[in-house]
Amino acid sequence: MVLGAIQSRVRSSRTYQQLSDRVRYARQDVSDLVPKIPGLPYAYISPFFILFGIFLLFPTVYTLYLSFFNYVSVSNDILLQIAAGPFELTIPQIANLEWVGLSHYERLIFRDSLFHTSLFNTSFIFFVQVPLMVILGLATALVLDSKFIRAKGLFRTLIALPVATGLVAYSTIFLLLFNDQVGLVNYVLAQVGFEPVSWLGSAWGARFTLVIAVTWRWLGYNMIILLAGLQTVPQQLYEAAEIDGATRWQKFRYVTLPQIRPVLLFVVVSSTIGTFQIFSEPYVITGGGPSNATITIVQYIYNQAFLQLNLGYASAVSVILVIIVSVMSIIQIKYGGEE
Amino acid sequence: MRTEDRNEALWKFGSYIFLLTLVVLVMVPLYWMIVAATIPQSEFFTWPPRLLPGFEWFSNFQALQENVDFVRSMGNSIIISVSYTALSLVLCSMAGFAFAKYEFRFKEPLFYFILATLVLPIQLLIIPLFLLITQLGWTNSYLAVILPWAANPLGIFLMRQNMKAIPDSLLESARMDGATEFQLYYKIALPTMLPSLAALSIILFLNQWQAFLYPLVVLQDPQMYTIPLALADLVGAQRVYFDQIMVATSLAVTPIFVVFLTMQQYFIKGILSGSVKQ
Repeated sequence: MVLGAIQSRVRSSRTYQQLSDRVRYARQDVSDLVPKIPGLPYAYISPFFILFGIFLLFPTVYTLYLSFFNYVSVSNDILLQIAAGPFELTIPQIANLEWVGLSHYERLIFRDSLFHTSLFNTSFIFFVQVPLMVILGLATALVLDSKFIRAKGLFRTLIALPVATGLVAYSTIFLLLFNDQVGLVNYVLAQVGFEPVSWLGSAWGARFTLVIAVTWRWLGYNMIILLAGLQTVPQQLYEAAEIDGATRWQKFRYVTLPQIRPVLLFVVVSSTIGTFQIFSEPYVITGGGPSNATITIVQYIYNQAFLQLNLGYASAVSVILVIIVSVMSIIQIKYGGEE
Repeated sequence: MRTEDRNEALWKFGSYIFLLTLVVLVMVPLYWMIVAATIPQSEFFTWPPRLLPGFEWFSNFQALQENVDFVRSMGNSIIISVSYTALSLVLCSMAGFAFAKYEFRFKEPLFYFILATLVLPIQLLIIPLFLLITQLGWTNSYLAVILPWAANPLGIFLMRQNMKAIPDSLLESARMDGATEFQLYYKIALPTMLPSLAALSIILFLNQWQAFLYPLVVLQDPQMYTIPLALADLVGAQRVYFDQIMVATSLAVTPIFVVFLTMQQYFIKGILSGSVKQ
């Protein structure tokens, strides 16, 4: 009874009327939108989908397929031939393969210590670099968002400048900066009375060099996203908190943080995905060394596939990488989406 | 009351110190690149190191060019990045227009399917792509680098999101005036989308300009090297000439800095469009 009364009141309200008008209008609009030329939308989307199918979809499926095989050689055999009148389509068999089932995965998980090393190195960069960068990026964004800061635009531009440097290009600069003999970092350390550090010659030195380099490159990028998130927080919330006598920390903890949670989550997830795919930096700065102390998963994939031509095995590593990245992202979204 | 004021002043002071420190830390590597690119190779091994830039950029550049054909690499990078951006813009905006403004069968499933592929890392693709490109005989060609990533899922997503904002009434009145369907796309949709197109171009161009792993796989001829490949080759050489590397690096980053400083709003729009929209 009560429900019925509420329903009828809702139906007669102005908002409801407006909404249903809008829905009716939208439906009518849609029917107008049915194109005059049948198949026209397909003409618009087909160039995209042809390239998408050949260069994105097919490779994705093929990697999974390849991970159950040993790659033997390039093949010129014909896999499939379709002849329909003047139209003839020949699909070549890409490679000669040898079925090995799950043995690549078995070897990867239980016996391949170099893969485990690459997994450890990548995880180390992830566990140190991502929190460091997110906290620093958030702090920078918070400071830049405060009212009293002058020349905000200038600060933002300068801090975001590394966003415009290419991955290999900036890596070469860090290669020079952290050079054991002629690098600026060791010079500065010596000036303030420290022993020179063997940055690129020691395992931990090389790992920290990568962490510092990646943080330098991506701090501004994440700051831009977080700053945009902060600017969407309604000002009234802060004012209300101030009236209640909230401290600076309380305002951050109970107003800012819950409000920017989705943006923060995005930054964490995309940084995680990025870190697990890191390749250019170790390739240029450390070469994966010293003695594989900084070899990353993608570098391992590259070495297996293109230096040793174990394409099947490298495909299995790729599949594992995708699984790891997906699981990490799902955990973060589940855990971070709560509250 | 006075302690509160003092705290406030301290907080402000601390904030500026924090920002200035960050700016210094961000700028030092770039400054060091300039120093290293402009001093002679012989002064690299002096102690203490030279801290001020010199005037040797051009002679370092000549040494670089004698060593490797870096100008050719820059040309390769420009050709590849520009044509890739143009092609991808056409593909993404056309398909995005269809997804935003037409009704057709399988529209929703197709779109969500594309969205799902956004999360796939490129490492998943390079091995089959390598085989495919080899099979097609495209190794060491521009096409090998341009085509595979032109159908960009992020691009179609952005285009579709932004083109939804074009009012249907605008398209309808153009139809009444006798515009063909294709004119709706390039005379109405595209011009109203210029800011989004600019933002997307910057993302696409920058991605291609700094692409490394995939070009490394399909371009083996030094004549075809893009800038990142040429740079990595210099680093991996028997003897590392930092002056030449830094000259090359300065050439690699300067064009993008110019774009960043002059078109910052589109740059930022590009960064944000990949994130904020759901």
